[in-house]
Order: sequence, then C-alpha cells, then structure tokens
Amino acid sequence: MLDGLLILLAFQFTGELLVRLLDLPLPGAVVGMVLLLLALITRAAVLQRVAPAANLLIGNLTLLFFPIGIGIVLEWDRYSEHGTALLVSIVVGTLLALILVTALLKLLIRSDS
Amino acid sequence: MSALHTPLFALLLTLASYRGAWWLYDKSGRQPLLHPFLVAMIPVIAVLLWLGIPYREYLAGTAVLQFFLGPATVALAWPLYRQLSTLRSIWLQVLVAIAIGAPLAAGLAIGLAALYGAPLDVIGSLAPKSITTPIALEVSRFTGGHAALAAGAVAITGIVGVLAAPLVFRLLRVTDDRIRGIALGLVAHAIGTARAFEYSERAGAYSSLALGLTGLLTALALPWLWPWIAGWL
Repeated sequence: MLDGLLILLAFQFTGELLVRLLDLPLPGAVVGMVLLLLALITRAAVLQRVAPAANLLIGNLTLLFFPIGIGIVLEWDRYSEHGTALLVSIVVGTLLALILVTALLKLLIRSDS
Repeated sequence: MSALHTPLFALLLTLASYRGAWWLYDKSGRQPLLHPFLVAMIPVIAVLLWLGIPYREYLAGTAVLQFFLGPATVALAWPLYRQLSTLRSIWLQVLVAIAIGAPLAAGLAIGLAALYGAPLDVIGSLAPKSITTPIALEVSRFTGGHAALAAGAVAITGIVGVLAAPLVFRLLRVTDDRIRGIALGLVAHAIGTARAFEYSERAGAYSSLALGLTGLLTALALPWLWPWIAGWL
C-alpha cells in the first residue's frame, strides 16, 4: 500500500512538474497517468506494487468526489436558472450518446470475430 | 458545539453516510437509482442543514478526500495497463470507436446545453461529463467550469447511462459483451464499468479499457480545443 501510494504521488508530481516546465494546457495528474502507463508497458516490475493503492482509490472514486458532487444540490440556487439546459444536456445528451455509440460499435465490431 | 465544526466530524459524517449507502446499494441488488452517490447525499445534506454547517465549511473539512482525486487519476493507468492485452485482437475498432465516440459524447453535452441557452461556464462544466470524475474535474478547470456542477453532471450521466443501457442494448439487438462493455465505459465511465462487470468479466474488461481511453483522449484534446469551441459558441 505504501509503495503504491509513493508511486502514484511520484508520478503525479512528475506530471505536474512537466506541465509547469513545458507550460502545457493539460492536467498534471493526466500527464502522470500517461507516464505511469508508459512505465508499466516497459515492464518495470517494481511498478506492479502500485496495484493495492490504485485499486483502493479506484474502488472508492464515489467517496472521493462526493463532497464536491453534492454541491450541485447544496448550491442549486447558483445553477437553478439553467435547470432545463442541465437536464436536457445530461439526460438527453447521455441517452443519444449511448444510442449512437452502441450503433457505431455494432458497425465496427462483428460478433463472429 | 465546536466539535461539529471540524474536519473530523465532516469526514465521519461522509464516511458513515457512504458506508450506509453502500450497504443499501448491495442489499437492493445494485439498483442504479440507489447508487451510493444519490443515497449518501440524503443524510449528509440533512445533517448539514440541521446543524447549520455551511457547504463551504463542509467542503474544506473534507479536503483530504479531494486531495486523493489526483493520485486516483494517476492510478487509472493500472487498470488501463491490465486491459491492454484484451485490446490486441480489435485494437483498431476500439480506437476508432473512442476517437468518434468521445467527441460525440462531449459534443452532444455542449451542443444541447448551448441550444437551451446555458452560459459558457455551465457548458464548460458539462463538456467532460462522460469521463471519469477525477479527470473530468481536472478538465473542467481548463473549460472554466464549476467543480460541483462538473462532478454532479458526471455522476448523473453515469446513472442515466446505466439505467438506459439494458433498453438500448435490447432495441439495437446487442448481444456482444465487447460492445456492451465499450459503450458503457465510453458513455457512463466508472458507474457504467461497474454495470458492465455484471454482464460478464469480459464486458467489464472492455469497459475499463474504454473508460481509460475516453478519459485520456478527452483530457488530452479538450483543454487544447476549448478556446476554439468557446469562441465558436
């Protein structure tokens, strides 16, 4: 667990450093994720120790964003005038995206393979 | 009581509510409408209002949880790495699906919000709604969005996607677990991936892969493209 956390923080920090040094319009944590993925692909065995910490964090993503997420309810008066736009974009947008993506996948992937 | 106005109480309230919400979710056979995000909201909001704890104070008290969204983003490299081998047989199809699907999901969110007159800050909050929350929150900083709106939109997108998926799959006669998995991961991120694992291990693997690649592609593209999109809106 400790090794995993150390790996995650080190890669996040490296990502943040790169973003600042190169002035990239990218989230530092995402750059850290790409770096870790590349490092894992090169079969750096020591990095396999990231698993326990990674699985714990990913398994509890809902908890991590929960306090931010409930702001949509507790600060609803800030957003209420755009209620219709939010509802349509989230509900209809998601439905359409799901239908179109599924149809696209049916075209791309034939079940026989 | 000053003990109620501490990070300790804010965390205790959050963890207890989250734990209880998971218990109910498991008991219900994981009904999407009883997703822990929705259920845990009820006790937390009730207690905050009852004790008169301002939301901003609660948010500051739970800052330690938000801190871990960064390492959680980096951690997504792990399941992505583990699923890369499943990609080998149909890698081109998966990449094409994500290269079209990820901008499609973001474009629909942006277009529909703009059509209904939402201002730029609201549209910027909705643009990353189909990607996993830690990445979506990072991206929403580049698109001038509100964190609360972005996080809420992501969670509700996941729940809507999971609710609609069985119907959509039946209507479009989808029986291939690879298609189910990729569609759920691409559109409904981690909540969709959890659902995909209920179809099969295979669907879950493809969903994890789609979740990671969609998040990655959106995070790499949207911050660059946003000034152009915002100018066009």
